Amino acid sequence: MPDDNNGDDGSVPSGERDASPESRADGGEVTDGGHAVREELPAGDEHGHDFPSMGTVKRWLVTTNHKDVGILYTVTSLFFLVFGGLLALLFRLELTTASGSFLTGTAYNQAVTAHGLLMVFFFLSPFAFGFANYFVPLQLGAKDLAFPRLNALSYWLYLLAGGLFGLSFLQGSTFAGGWTMYAPLNLPMYLPEGVGSTTAVMAMIMFVISVTVSSVNFLTTMHRMRAEGMRIRDMPLFSMSILLTVWMMLFAFAALLAALIILASDHILGTTYFAATEGGSLLWAHLFWFFGHPEVYIVFFPALGMMAEVFQTFTGRRIVGRKWFIAAMTLVALQSFVVWMHHMFLTSINLEIKTLFMATTIGISLPFDLMVFALIYTMIKGRIRFTTPFLFAFGALLLFIVGGITGVFLGAVVLDYEFRGTYWVVAHFHYVMVGGAMAMFGALYYWYPKMTGKMYDEFLGKAHFALSFVGFNLLYFPQFVAWETPRRVYNYQPEFVTWHQLSTVGAFVFGLSFLLMFYNFYKSYHHGEDAGDAPWKYASSAEWAIPSPPSLENFPGVPSYKGGSLSFLSEEEVHGAAAADGGPAHGHATGDAHAGGHDDHASYWPLLSSVAVFVLFVGLAGTNGGGTVYTATAALGGLALLGTAAGWVVESFHVSEPELASRWPFDGVENTKLGVWIFLASDVVVFGAFVGSYIFIRVAEGWQNWHHLLPADHVVLPGLINTYLLLASSFSIVLAMVAAEKKSRAGVVAGLVTTLVLGIGFLINKGIEWSHFFHIHSEHFPEGWTFGTNVASSTFYLTTGMHGLHVTLGLLVLLWMIPRAWRGAYTSTEDGDKPLEYFGLYWHFVDIVWLFLFPLFYIL
Amino acid sequence: MSGTIATLVTVLQSDGIIPRGSRVEVFDAIYWVFLVLGALVGIVVIGYMLYNAYKYRDVGETDEDAAESKKVERPKLGELPRGGGGGRKLFLSFTLSAIIVISLIAWAYGILLYVEEGAAEEPPTEQAEALEVQVEGYQFGWRFTYPNGHTVDSAVGDSFKVPADRMVRLNVTSADVFHNFGIPGLRVKSDAIPGQYTQQWFIAEDPGTNYTARCYELCGAGHSDMTATVEVMSQEEWQNWYEGTGNETETGDDGNQSDGGDDDGHALEDVLEEPVDYGMEVHA
Amino acid sequence: MASTKLYTIIFVVLAALTTVQAWVEISGFLDQSYWLAFGILGVVASVKALMVAGYFQHLRSEPRSITYVYAAGLMAALALTVAAAYSIT
Ligand code: HEM
Ligand SMILES: [Cu+2]
Ligand SMILES: [Cu+2]
Repeated sequence: MPDDNNGDDGSVPSGERDASPESRADGGEVTDGGHAVREELPAGDEHGHDFPSMGTVKRWLVTTNHKDVGILYTVTSLFFLVFGGLLALLFRLELTTASGSFLTGTAYNQAVTAHGLLMVFFFLSPFAFGFANYFVPLQLGAKDLAFPRLNALSYWLYLLAGGLFGLSFLQGSTFAGGWTMYAPLNLPMYLPEGVGSTTAVMAMIMFVISVTVSSVNFLTTMHRMRAEGMRIRDMPLFSMSILLTVWMMLFAFAALLAALIILASDHILGTTYFAATEGGSLLWAHLFWFFGHPEVYIVFFPALGMMAEVFQTFTGRRIVGRKWFIAAMTLVALQSFVVWMHHMFLTSINLEIKTLFMATTIGISLPFDLMVFALIYTMIKGRIRFTTPFLFAFGALLLFIVGGITGVFLGAVVLDYEFRGTYWVVAHFHYVMVGGAMAMFGALYYWYPKMTGKMYDEFLGKAHFALSFVGFNLLYFPQFVAWETPRRVYNYQPEFVTWHQLSTVGAFVFGLSFLLMFYNFYKSYHHGEDAGDAPWKYASSAEWAIPSPPSLENFPGVPSYKGGSLSFLSEEEVHGAAAADGGPAHGHATGDAHAGGHDDHASYWPLLSSVAVFVLFVGLAGTNGGGTVYTATAALGGLALLGTAAGWVVESFHVSEPELASRWPFDGVENTKLGVWIFLASDVVVFGAFVGSYIFIRVAEGWQNWHHLLPADHVVLPGLINTYLLLASSFSIVLAMVAAEKKSRAGVVAGLVTTLVLGIGFLINKGIEWSHFFHIHSEHFPEGWTFGTNVASSTFYLTTGMHGLHVTLGLLVLLWMIPRAWRGAYTSTEDGDKPLEYFGLYWHFVDIVWLFLFPLFYIL
Repeated sequence: MSGTIATLVTVLQSDGIIPRGSRVEVFDAIYWVFLVLGALVGIVVIGYMLYNAYKYRDVGETDEDAAESKKVERPKLGELPRGGGGGRKLFLSFTLSAIIVISLIAWAYGILLYVEEGAAEEPPTEQAEALEVQVEGYQFGWRFTYPNGHTVDSAVGDSFKVPADRMVRLNVTSADVFHNFGIPGLRVKSDAIPGQYTQQWFIAEDPGTNYTARCYELCGAGHSDMTATVEVMSQEEWQNWYEGTGNETETGDDGNQSDGGDDDGHALEDVLEEPVDYGMEVHA
Repeated sequence: MASTKLYTIIFVVLAALTTVQAWVEISGFLDQSYWLAFGILGVVASVKALMVAGYFQHLRSEPRSITYVYAAGLMAALALTVAAAYSIT
């Protein structure tokens, strides 16, 4: 890989491969609305015929193409923006008087809660990921994401999670405990009657699954599919910000997943984690904010990346101190995992830990200083054009400065002692988060021409900026002034009523300004001028070097930065280079020599599996209290999920890995394997959070003051047997792998069957143990020792149960694999044993988890 | 790092830069310093931003016209991204802002220690013996229990009566969900968490004034109305009132005490310096 | 790739270490000196996990970066557990 790309003046693209739009063979003659270009697939592309055109509904149901999925994300997230926004207008109206009028009690709480959840989860991140889907592959020079079907799956899970959330409104009442879902208000006993709250929790779980799938996908793509010559640090800043965002997502959302699963279990199974007097409340706060603080950067980083791109383009300057900008972002991403307790300064955490977290919090604000200054200095000697995207980015930077300064106030613990729970916090985080959203709206104007091929109306765009910027400040600035108002109340100090009324006026100005945006985009889509390939002077990243909108295959050749700037190689050149390069290590699970064409872009299974999950979750939410209809629904959904999963694996769906790519630091691990590893890393955090919760509760209870909660001390035997069984099953998988290498079909089958039998033995043993505890009649536990008996039983059943679920899933996969092994699927071809290896990685991981559960739950 | 901060704090304290006094005084001092400095920094930075945006606006000259712009390199389509130089200036301003932020926080940390000291058991300097009150939030109201076991409940319209110019130390907990007890006028606030005890303190200065205590953490349908009146009395007045309450200890026996008090006795002991009749003993 | 023999040895060691863990309890050692036994159990569990990860999941022969990814998850979980447990007053 070339290491000297930073030569000062344009290392001019090697003559013939010039990337400038004018000299490209297939030119920029996009004259005919967005559609034509996409459908005009390069001649000889066989699959063109079975991929429906963009005008059809079917296209949008089956597509797995990253650009389509990007558009779906963008449109859907804007829908949720409107949904959440209308709720906000509703309660802003309520706040025009200082006492309750039309929206009070639980209804008010539902409105603020749903607003928060919708905006943070269903709008901000998906909006950013609409752009990420569309532009990251383009900026990197990839044809698509690594796992296109999983990408479509992420989208459908997201959409239907939103649907599930919407459904919760119709089930009596949606969740009403605030977007932070503090315990124990998040439990059924304190929430409004009905299934709705549980449904909302399930919707959140579904959303988190979508995020996790998407993180794995993006990480694999971004690490292994960059164009030749593009090192990680050479990625455009938008892509860079997305890379760091997905890394944070991978780990942070895993913690949230654990928290939500525990919460769902408290709702559905009746475990008592968050009701526990010793530490239940604090446990939620820790789990939530361990996720929650990284989350604020997860929603902000993409906006920062977009700001950097827009600044560079419209100032005509490369960003100042690029290296330091990237270093600062990386530092923030890492540090974001060790500041969470600044949301808990007023709880009973001790002074030492407060001091520590105050220091880390202030530490994390400093890299932001650097980034802000870098953006400002980038303007110097620029040729600044005040287009709509730039105005939004510029405005967003200004808002971020205000938000950041007020955040430093909160970082000072003594001040936070007074600010906590007030409108100061509300104003602070709206300045940063909605400020970030402003940058993203700018990015929408910036990339609109690329996505549609049409130019938006500049005047309307500027009007939108002016109105929204004024509206924003009118909306949030008064909240600083009226900061003593408690959050989430409709009954507040009458002396602040004027400020709140101003704020409401601002909310309407801000909200209505978006009508301009929607109108602008609608009108321009139909009557706008053609944008051409590169409407923005000084834009430099690769998406501007291809038609607007880009073709299905993205690039006219294979992108490469080997010469220091973008060029497109022909197939022959690629083969030459790949050969010289040693080729992709042992990649190519498909063994397809023609990395060029033939990729599939359509599958129904992502949609269908998501529907199955939706049905399953609707049912699960009501199994405790909703009646048998719900149980039946859950069963139906579960079966449907199995069916769609089978359909998914049976479907032949071809995706090729690029032959020529920068793959640091994962050369030599093929995409699927890397995907499995990354997924396992997030699962480490899920289990880590479960084990951490157990440890936390037990420490709060008094570590050694625990055994009286158990039916009997240290019952080692069942755990011991299960440890032997699992270890043996790991061993037999290894033997199956060895057999596959020796091309011994019988050996593979024997190994897998042994694993299956041992796994079943594990579950049976566990079943016996559980049923024994359930029906115990001891002096202390006359009613048996069940899920809800106490914290010890809750942590025991749920942690080992989660592990048991992993075992069960593994066994289902084995049931699938054994007949295939019998037919020789893993022994007949060169790379045929890969699936065995992937399964092994998962199975050993499940084994490793048990190795820790065994001493924790059976000995200590 | 923490060592430096600690030294800094000692230096600051010895010079009397750390404000002392009631919570209101402390807060005012620090809030205004932050506000003025914050506004100043904000104005300078934003002003500089606007100035540059104006100065370097595109005036429509062509590339050829602008002779000097030849010296400035512009991004090119398809280039590998790289930086635009200017690192030194970046570091200078970064260091400057870091110094401002860190010293502000170090100073605020000194104040934190002062505030925390008040919440801990040692009686504060030259103050009269502090008054210990247990505050218990519940859906939806506040219960205040005095050392003699007398309990007042905001839900029945009782006010929380406190003596002026005497430190009041709160030991805050909750009977059900997470609440947050705050008296904005007295600049005191503390989480009320089931099963946990948090300590805060305040000093009210003006007898005859009433304040409103509010709940600052969403706690259910009645969260908005979860207020209590705090009534500041002169010391003698308060003493008279308080002495009149001693013999009705039994009336505290409406179940309040068992809600959160009993199961965490050790936290209570921390706060009680001399064994007083705390109502609990009545039950025992 | 390593031989069946090596894998067998690993398996036998894992099973033996498991037996050691059980023995710590059964012999009454855990009751005598709880925290020492606690430490031993923790170390043994970690060693076992490292062996499974290193050999069965053949992390040893993968690029080091994979180990870092896995370890990053572990660090995150540890940070959460340790800091949260430590914050308890
Ligand atoms: C510049 C540095 C920043 C600092 C020092 C900072 C500090 C803080 C602190 C201490 C809190 C807790 C306040 C409390 O609840 O008492 C807080 C709340 C919050 N911050 Fe920031 N923050 C910063 C930047 C950001 C950014 C960039 C975002 C998101 C884009 C953000 C989003 C939030 C949110 C959402 C909350 C409130 C969560 C809630 O309670 O609902 N902050 N911030
Ligand atoms: Cu935070
Ligand atoms: Cu409340």
